Amino acid sequence: MKYIKKNSYLLLFATILLTAGCDSKLDVLPTQSIDENVALGTSKDVEVTLIGCYDGLQDADLYGGGIQVTSELLAAGTELLFGGTYSNLLELYNKTITTSNTTALSTWTDSYNTINRVNNVLSALSVVDEEKRSRIEGEALFIRGSLYFELVRLYGKTWGDGNNATNPGVPLILTPTRVITEENQVARNSVAEVYAQAIADLIKAKAQLPLSNGNYATKHAATAQLSRIYLMQENYAAARDAANEVILSGDYDLEAQFSANFFTFLTNGGANPEEYIYSMIVTQQDGVNAMNTYFGTTVSSIPGTSGRSDIRISTAHRALYETGDVRGTFFITPSNNTFTRKHLDTFGNALVFRLAEMYLTRAEANFRLGTVVGATPLVDINVIRTRAGLAAATTVTLPSILKERHLELAFEGQNLHDIKRTRGSVGTYAYNSPKLILPIPQRETDVNPKLVQNEGYN
Amino acid sequence: MKKALLFTFFGVFGMCLSLFAQDIRITGKVTSAEDESNLAGATVVEKGSTNGTQTDSEGKYSLSVKSSASVLIFSFVGTLTKEIPVGSQSVINAQLSADTRSLEEVVVTGFGSQIKRDLTGNIAQIKSKDIENMPVASVDAALQGRAAGVYINSGSGKLGEAPIIRVRGSSSISASSQPLYVVDGMPIISGDQSNYGSAMNPLTDINPNDIESIEILKDASAGAIYGSRAANGVILITTKRGGAGKTKMSLNYQAGVAEATKRVKFLNAEQYVDFYTKAAATRDRISGYETDDPDSYTQYMIGEGGFLDYQSFDTFTNGTYKNYSWQDEAFQKGPMQQVDFQMNGGNEKTKFFISGQYYDQKGTLIGNSLNRMSARLNVDHQAYKWLTVGMSMGLSRTDNRRLPGDNQFSNPLQAAALVPLTPITDPNTGLPTGTPPGDVGLPLYYNPRISIDYSKFQQIGFRNLTNAYAQINFSKDFRFRSEIGIDLLNQNEEGYYQTQTLRNVSTAVNGQGDNYGSFVTNYNTNNFLTYDKLFDVHSINLTAGMTYQESQRKVNWIQGTQFPSDLYQKIASAATKSDGTSTETNFRFLSYFLRANYKFADKYLLSVSGRVDGSSRFGVNSRYGFFPAASAGWVITEENFLKQVDILSFLKLRASYGLTGNSEIGDFPQLGLYSGDAGYAGAAGQRPSQIANPDLKWELTHQTDIGIDFGILNNRINGEIDYYVKKTSGLLLNVQVPATSGFSTQVKNVGKMNNKGWELVINSQNIVGAFKWNTSFNISTNKNKVVSVPEVIQGGQSSMSRVMEGQPVGVFYTVEYAGVDPANGDALFYKNTENPDGTIDRSTVNNANYNQAQRVAAGNPNPKFQGGISNDISYKGFDFNIFFNGVTGNKINFFGVGQYSSANGIYEDNQTVDQLNSWTPTNTNTDVPEARFYRGNGNQASTRYIYDGAFLRLRSMTLGYTIPKSITSKIKLERLRVYVSAMNLATFTKYKGWDPEVNSGYINSGWATGNDFYTPPQPRTILAGINLSF
Repeated sequence: MKYIKKNSYLLLFATILLTAGCDSKLDVLPTQSIDENVALGTSKDVEVTLIGCYDGLQDADLYGGGIQVTSELLAAGTELLFGGTYSNLLELYNKTITTSNTTALSTWTDSYNTINRVNNVLSALSVVDEEKRSRIEGEALFIRGSLYFELVRLYGKTWGDGNNATNPGVPLILTPTRVITEENQVARNSVAEVYAQAIADLIKAKAQLPLSNGNYATKHAATAQLSRIYLMQENYAAARDAANEVILSGDYDLEAQFSANFFTFLTNGGANPEEYIYSMIVTQQDGVNAMNTYFGTTVSSIPGTSGRSDIRISTAHRALYETGDVRGTFFITPSNNTFTRKHLDTFGNALVFRLAEMYLTRAEANFRLGTVVGATPLVDINVIRTRAGLAAATTVTLPSILKERHLELAFEGQNLHDIKRTRGSVGTYAYNSPKLILPIPQRETDVNPKLVQNEGYN
Repeated sequence: MKKALLFTFFGVFGMCLSLFAQDIRITGKVTSAEDESNLAGATVVEKGSTNGTQTDSEGKYSLSVKSSASVLIFSFVGTLTKEIPVGSQSVINAQLSADTRSLEEVVVTGFGSQIKRDLTGNIAQIKSKDIENMPVASVDAALQGRAAGVYINSGSGKLGEAPIIRVRGSSSISASSQPLYVVDGMPIISGDQSNYGSAMNPLTDINPNDIESIEILKDASAGAIYGSRAANGVILITTKRGGAGKTKMSLNYQAGVAEATKRVKFLNAEQYVDFYTKAAATRDRISGYETDDPDSYTQYMIGEGGFLDYQSFDTFTNGTYKNYSWQDEAFQKGPMQQVDFQMNGGNEKTKFFISGQYYDQKGTLIGNSLNRMSARLNVDHQAYKWLTVGMSMGLSRTDNRRLPGDNQFSNPLQAAALVPLTPITDPNTGLPTGTPPGDVGLPLYYNPRISIDYSKFQQIGFRNLTNAYAQINFSKDFRFRSEIGIDLLNQNEEGYYQTQTLRNVSTAVNGQGDNYGSFVTNYNTNNFLTYDKLFDVHSINLTAGMTYQESQRKVNWIQGTQFPSDLYQKIASAATKSDGTSTETNFRFLSYFLRANYKFADKYLLSVSGRVDGSSRFGVNSRYGFFPAASAGWVITEENFLKQVDILSFLKLRASYGLTGNSEIGDFPQLGLYSGDAGYAGAAGQRPSQIANPDLKWELTHQTDIGIDFGILNNRINGEIDYYVKKTSGLLLNVQVPATSGFSTQVKNVGKMNNKGWELVINSQNIVGAFKWNTSFNISTNKNKVVSVPEVIQGGQSSMSRVMEGQPVGVFYTVEYAGVDPANGDALFYKNTENPDGTIDRSTVNNANYNQAQRVAAGNPNPKFQGGISNDISYKGFDFNIFFNGVTGNKINFFGVGQYSSANGIYEDNQTVDQLNSWTPTNTNTDVPEARFYRGNGNQASTRYIYDGAFLRLRSMTLGYTIPKSITSKIKLERLRVYVSAMNLATFTKYKGWDPEVNSGYINSGWATGNDFYTPPQPRTILAGINLSF
């Protein structure tokens, strides 16, 4: 019958439609991510992962400015006024930090995220072209060593405050993470171990890095970082020699004008001034300068400025400058609040080291040791003073050297660590007060019972 | 589709009956009692026999009956059955009254439909009448309170934002908890597609007035046919279709105005000055400043040239300052209007439905608006006896002027926190304060008005929801249906920020333009066989088929800066193309399904169904899942022992059990990934971005449902009672891993969660006759409990929301506030630590030792009870509807606002008036701590900010009048109705914030709900409308 015949065709058609599935249709790959198994196959792959390490280091909570801002806020006594609404920053300012403080959390997680990127690069050095291998390893180690140094001095006790070999530092992770197991629950290494690792990484980095390297880490950047580490350890001879090495290299010059060190985007097209040894590059597309975010403000008369206007400079601080000191007028009062001009530029590069610090370090170390390596402390201090428009000093003392350092490097992230290493105090808090040490983030102690919380946070 | 099936059903039924010879010939017409329209396809049966027929397209029938003693029974879908004795009449016209609660109602199930009395699963049905013409942009908002067990929270008063919808509670944590939406058989795009502000709602593209019915599949038996996609419930939307007969046309116009439901009281200028003078002096005392020290807080606040002078344009110290209510500046009256046109008709072979709508709504917040144009054409054609084809096409254009996220300074409601001494308008320029050339440092924070005046963000979506079907009837019992559907969303989001917005958009030095294009395509095909057969007392229905879905989302974005002037707003004119991206993601599903229903003697019902689901989202080790379900029903009133109980007209017991899954787990969660987004200083870079899990699969929900359906007094009162238990396992979680690994989380199938609840639905025809009064009532409970998670998960506002064992998902977990120390004004917190003997230490600590206080579970953001009650009253031409809904047993976290604005003056933010009661040496008996400027004193996260979220809301009220036909027929109108209507007219709540129906889109991470962050309240809309039918 015709009807039945038609029906059977239709049924066949229906059956085809019903079974027309194809399992392979379900294999769909992502388009803007790639599988980890193919990510580190070539030299180029490892090189772009190294760029990813710089991207990590540039994070707003790391050298993008967060580490520097944390140091300044924790060190803030009467010289800074805080008027922002981020409670994490207000807690730092008031020394009433909670274990859920998001600065403590982000600096921790972002550091280890970057360290994992570094460890991935280090694990794949064998595929890197031979002529690049040494440099790439050096850059990766510079980043890792720098981060361990910053972590240990933010989350651990000051070097020399008690026993470095037993004071808890931060966990040292030196291999990339491929799977998550119980072994990822790691304990804190001691302060001494973390310092040793940071120094080892940086010494190796210094040996392998070139003298100039575009936007990336150089031999001098590693040397400058070492000078800071040695200074924290009160190893003045090593700090002095490292600083001296950078100065003598002649690769950097003090800017004739103090102000030329800032506004790198607005007045220098985004390039670093001659004086910069290392900075995190900020462009309109990428990068952020958290010092701008919190110290900055929008000044109508200077297009390109911005900021949350959170951190203001008190009269007490401004009273510290001698008359005629150009640094003493490097402020702006657009309304009822006064801000530093150092961090107004929206796309200003986030400064890490500049040459002036090396002079100040060499002067201090020479003075403490009674040596004159490179130059006398008086000569070095007068280099800084005359650039600031002041008359040359005739004598120097340790307090005068430290004051010069304080004023020259104000709001650049050095304050807390200078106070700690010189055994000073912040208001009524002694240099070794637990209030001046960040807590291990609560999130981290929740998932990793092996992490011991810092004193005062339990 | 539903009607087409019905006609087939009745057609078959009618054919079988017409074989018998008869004596008296009766003719007549069947019409609707409500609007006197012709009822085509109504059934006319001689009582006590199998003799019957059905009406033609004009509602006419002709039937021969045995004698004048015969009685005719008239019935029609959705109406009350009517009996008329024949007597001496030869023409019998019948008017049938609407009965939306009939058990004979057809309910749409996945891939088919069923009569309500035969259902063994739990499906809630909402008819067009309940949702039409509500002044809401999307249908989900209209569903609120209508269905038991379906919780809907609109979240925000901003137009077009995504609501929270939970069917029988949250059954997921990291994956989506939103239900699957299926329109005319096609799963549609329902997730957020926005690149700006909070999540948007793609359902806004659907005209609610096009909808014939909405079925919500709640239990496993109903949902298993959607397998791995059904665990959160399935919402089936069926659009209207044409009917044979005279072409009907209707026109509806409504217009009204919306206003925000509530304001929160903030300090006025005088109160502000007084309050902050004290707060600053207190801080000076604490920090050891003399109040005349230039660095002192007092000088900062009230000194000459200080904060208040600056904020008030130097009118503070000279005493000429005035009071300005900044909150009022955020709100506006929002006019709305809506025009609808609908037409439907056709003949036996071809039927059509055409509609068009223009909807235009201004927001209750400045700068917010939404307008939609939509059109629909649904056609069905019977090509041959064995082939029916049809097509549905809905097109829409939705233009939404969106607002920034709640946490942005440019969110208009954040203006509430500005200093009340700051003039709204800059006296020097006459422009909104903060607009250049005036001082951009004012007001305290960025003035959101500037973003409204000098920037725009417009989202325009073009949506095409089209599907076509062919249905082949191999025989009258056996048919094949093939459906193919396309859901396209082309969305353009365009923003331009003028130089004036610089304080908010720091990169807009010379203007900034952003342009996003989202192209979402979604193809779907369903192919299935259906076999229906009645063998004596055995009725069987079999459905088997496959479905395949392919979905893709592509997004392009470009950003430009450096425009020649603000007259150029396209990126073509941007000298710097400052940023841009393009992304793509895909997912696919391939599924096979089967369902068998069996009915014995209208008494015993049995159903089994199952689906095999494969998806690209699942790991290679677990690509396919099987989701079976079974259910049974027993119609006890069909048993002889109950047939005699007159009062009980219907009683059915039903039970179901089955498995469903949740596959809304993201597109590639199982892979170990590197991402190429880690560039530095212009050089490209990559980074490890996700750690792998090849075992990853769907979340699995086992659900048991036991229910009773009942009807009393000839079903005048009918209802349902259900108890359900949903047990979800394999919860997909972003498990926190030690961050020292370089990763924060790993996606894993771990964790279990239960939802249990009762549901009660009662529909009652309280009064019938000329004066009608009907009531629909529903109430439901849900108890959610997280049974196991590998570790606590924190999130939400200041990490105060938690997922932890033994607690409901998203429980607020924070330090318990203990009030104020009367001796010194310190905020106190209960320690709540465990003593060595196991008891809890209820001693208190002050602010300085806040870290010592143990956090405790402090409230559930999910309501324990929710319900709605709707009353319909009609008399002669008048109709009146009043609908309340409400929730109770939930808490809201006000900390987002409270930490700044109810924080006893920690920052300069204007404070809510309750802060005036802060502790002073003379006001020691208070729960507001001493105000200490820039010094935390009880402003930390604590139960101080966790409020009760219960509310009862007069959700809608409508009064209509239909002009008598005697008048309307003279002007050639079939029907003319005028009405006035109000939405959200009154809200009864103790909540201190703007609106207890709140869920800030800025904080909502799926499970972390119930947060308020300067979130605008729902609108109160009052409107009038007119409805014409030709």
